[in-house]
Amino acid sequence: MAVPVTAPEVPASPTTDADRVRPVSARHFVKLKLRVMGNNFRGQGWRIAMFVGGVIAGLWFAVLGFFLLAAPGLAGEPTYALMVSAFGGGLLVLGWLLLPLVFFGVDETLDPARFALLPLSRRTLVTGLFAAALVSVPAVAALVATGGLVLTAGALGGPAAALVAAVGVVAGMLVCVAASRAMTSAFATMLRSRRVRDLAAVLLAVAAALFGPLQIAVMAALQDADWTRLTGVARVVGWTPFGAPWTMGVDVAEGRAWAVPVKLLVTAATIGALLWWWSRSLESAMVGAASSGPAKQRGGPVGGAVTQLFPGALGWARRGRFGALMARECRYWWRDARRRANLITIAVIGLFVPLMVNVGGTNLPSDSGLDLSTVGSSPVLVSVSLVFVGVLASITLANQFGFDGSAYAANVVAGVPGRLELRARMAAFSVYVVPMLAVVAIVLGVVLGRPAWLGVMAGALLASYGAGLAINAFVSVLGAYSLPETSNPFAMNTGAGVAKGFLTLLSMIASAVAALPMVIAAALLGDAWLWLALPFGLAYGLGAALLGAYLAGDVLDRRTPELLTAVTPRR
Amino acid sequence: MTHEQPALALRGLAKRFDGKVAVAGVDLDVPAGSFYGLLGPNGAGKTTTLSMAVGLLRPDAGGAWVLGHDVWADPVRAKQLLGVMPDGVRLFDRLNGAELLAYHGLLRGMDPAVVDQRAAELLDVLALGDAGRTLVVDYSAGMKKKIGLACALLHGPRLLVLDEPFEAVDPVSAALIRDILHRYVVGGGTVVFSSHVMEVVERLCSHVAILADGTIKRVGTLTEVRGERSLEDVFVEVVGGRTATGEELAWLSR
Repeated sequence: MAVPVTAPEVPASPTTDADRVRPVSARHFVKLKLRVMGNNFRGQGWRIAMFVGGVIAGLWFAVLGFFLLAAPGLAGEPTYALMVSAFGGGLLVLGWLLLPLVFFGVDETLDPARFALLPLSRRTLVTGLFAAALVSVPAVAALVATGGLVLTAGALGGPAAALVAAVGVVAGMLVCVAASRAMTSAFATMLRSRRVRDLAAVLLAVAAALFGPLQIAVMAALQDADWTRLTGVARVVGWTPFGAPWTMGVDVAEGRAWAVPVKLLVTAATIGALLWWWSRSLESAMVGAASSGPAKQRGGPVGGAVTQLFPGALGWARRGRFGALMARECRYWWRDARRRANLITIAVIGLFVPLMVNVGGTNLPSDSGLDLSTVGSSPVLVSVSLVFVGVLASITLANQFGFDGSAYAANVVAGVPGRLELRARMAAFSVYVVPMLAVVAIVLGVVLGRPAWLGVMAGALLASYGAGLAINAFVSVLGAYSLPETSNPFAMNTGAGVAKGFLTLLSMIASAVAALPMVIAAALLGDAWLWLALPFGLAYGLGAALLGAYLAGDVLDRRTPELLTAVTPRR
Repeated sequence: MTHEQPALALRGLAKRFDGKVAVAGVDLDVPAGSFYGLLGPNGAGKTTTLSMAVGLLRPDAGGAWVLGHDVWADPVRAKQLLGVMPDGVRLFDRLNGAELLAYHGLLRGMDPAVVDQRAAELLDVLALGDAGRTLVVDYSAGMKKKIGLACALLHGPRLLVLDEPFEAVDPVSAALIRDILHRYVVGGGTVVFSSHVMEVVERLCSHVAILADGTIKRVGTLTEVRGERSLEDVFVEVVGGRTATGEELAWLSR
């Protein structure tokens, strides 16, 4: 597996003249990142294709965002300018803050741990890594999109306003990138320590929980169509770090030029604070990388080797190949920080997204005095939101072999049949996920006051989860990629993060389509479906998963060595 | 068992990475019961060759046979006879030593009682019993090599393929590993291992092959390859390295 890779040049100054050390600037980091990205593409046609696909997707979103944000300027509607810039920009920052934690991970082309031995000051390192982080498809796309704000400000307030807006947009971009870096880095450090792990879960839950009330407030405000009140909210948001950089241009256009220096100060202070926070956690990430393994296991009754391998919950499993694979996977879902982070994400999102969709919907028409539950939620809406949860849970397995990395060689050497391998992995993951899904269904049933819908909910969850497992069995065998061997559970490899997010999205759509029969049946069959949904969903999900393992297992048997090469990190 | 059948036979194995030739047609016969050393400088293609021989990396051309069973056409039978310790490959290191052995044993379809008994013995002999419930990821480099060897030995293979088993291992552990391997060969097993440490190869091996630039340069029994000279002299001559430095690094002595 010794793939020869030319080691990228270390950005320290060449020591031809030992007395004179040339200073290292952010430029070196950017060049290094571009070089590493370029080297990753060498001779890898599909990687280039995925990257191009990612760029196209990024461009599409960029143009869409541009016109959304430029709309008030193009339409000559100064009333909405402040709202669009404050809310649009604020959502963007929020997205950069939270989305990496949930879906895409951060691009760790330049792993901070690699710089641990170089004589670089913390300041140099942070500014360098920050500059390198700015060079990415999402950052460029977001910059293009927010360019719409410059157009709006220019159309409403002339060139001076446009200039200020441009400065604001660039500063806002810096806030976005710094926020995402600081957040993931801090969470990575927290999740690595086992003691703080539960605290992190709670924090994530609280952060997600805040969405619910927020959404209800927004909905209520929209319902009232009280634009003056919304403008007031936008004005307040405009003074927070979320909105400050984006609203400067509009302020100039509306004749509040005095606000610009203050907002610039707010933005600069925010960037400074975020970078400081990042540098703190960065240092522990660098030092921790040397010996970051979890602490020693608790002592306890030590049985034979086989007894030790099987966790208590798997006491029933037969002590054979299937059992061993499943036991090892179960242990890994808990002991590997990267996998654990995924489990926590499923738990939190799985609980709060359906609650948001269904409960938020019921509160919406409350003013009009209609019956809450019938209008706000229906078996169809519940099915749709739970299909999303099932798909989200199964998508975690889209790169299941990537989690193993080169350790997968052990299974290759032992000649594990592909079907057995995939079935065992599905079973082990389900040991964690199926109880979670049950909790989701029960909580939702209780909160909505609709225990009769339990069958529909459980059926939708099981069907979409099973169909997702089948789709992702193929994705994991055919589209596997290596994850960097760092301790950061959010790290992604190779600067092709967008393309991988794209692949994830594609497999999510495919899984959702596969689970569509559940939604259609809920819409067409009426009350009979309340009874039929659970048995049908269970059979559908189980059947899909087994069929997926059967077919994908065949593919796996044929390309086992290729899969191993794909998941082995290049060194 | 038939002694005429080579324990490992390689025919025309070749592999390119991104247009660069890593291994350019390797033919090798490892006689059953031999202790075979595969020597070569860094980047010679040792790991690539061994990976292709055990079914971890698909060759561009050529094939590999373990005791007559084609590794690529009949992998199940070939892999049963084979114990492998790859280099630069992680173990499932978030298990502790005992758990890892149990995993490997059950994966090979062994009886749980036998797994328990052999795992306990191996942990004891390799002095890994003290590690208790420490996860393998927290092991030292030498301990990782030892647990890797234990995983390869557990199911009692007929052929053991080890990639750099003595790399990063302290002298005490190295002596232990040597002892175990020696006993294994005396008991009728065959060992193929790669190394670039001449002393170890000279002390252990009955047969030697020198690999450089992806091809076999010298092959035969140790005495055939070595002749009257030391193995190191032969190796440096074959590989064509430079032995002395000239004026270039003058700044080193300041």
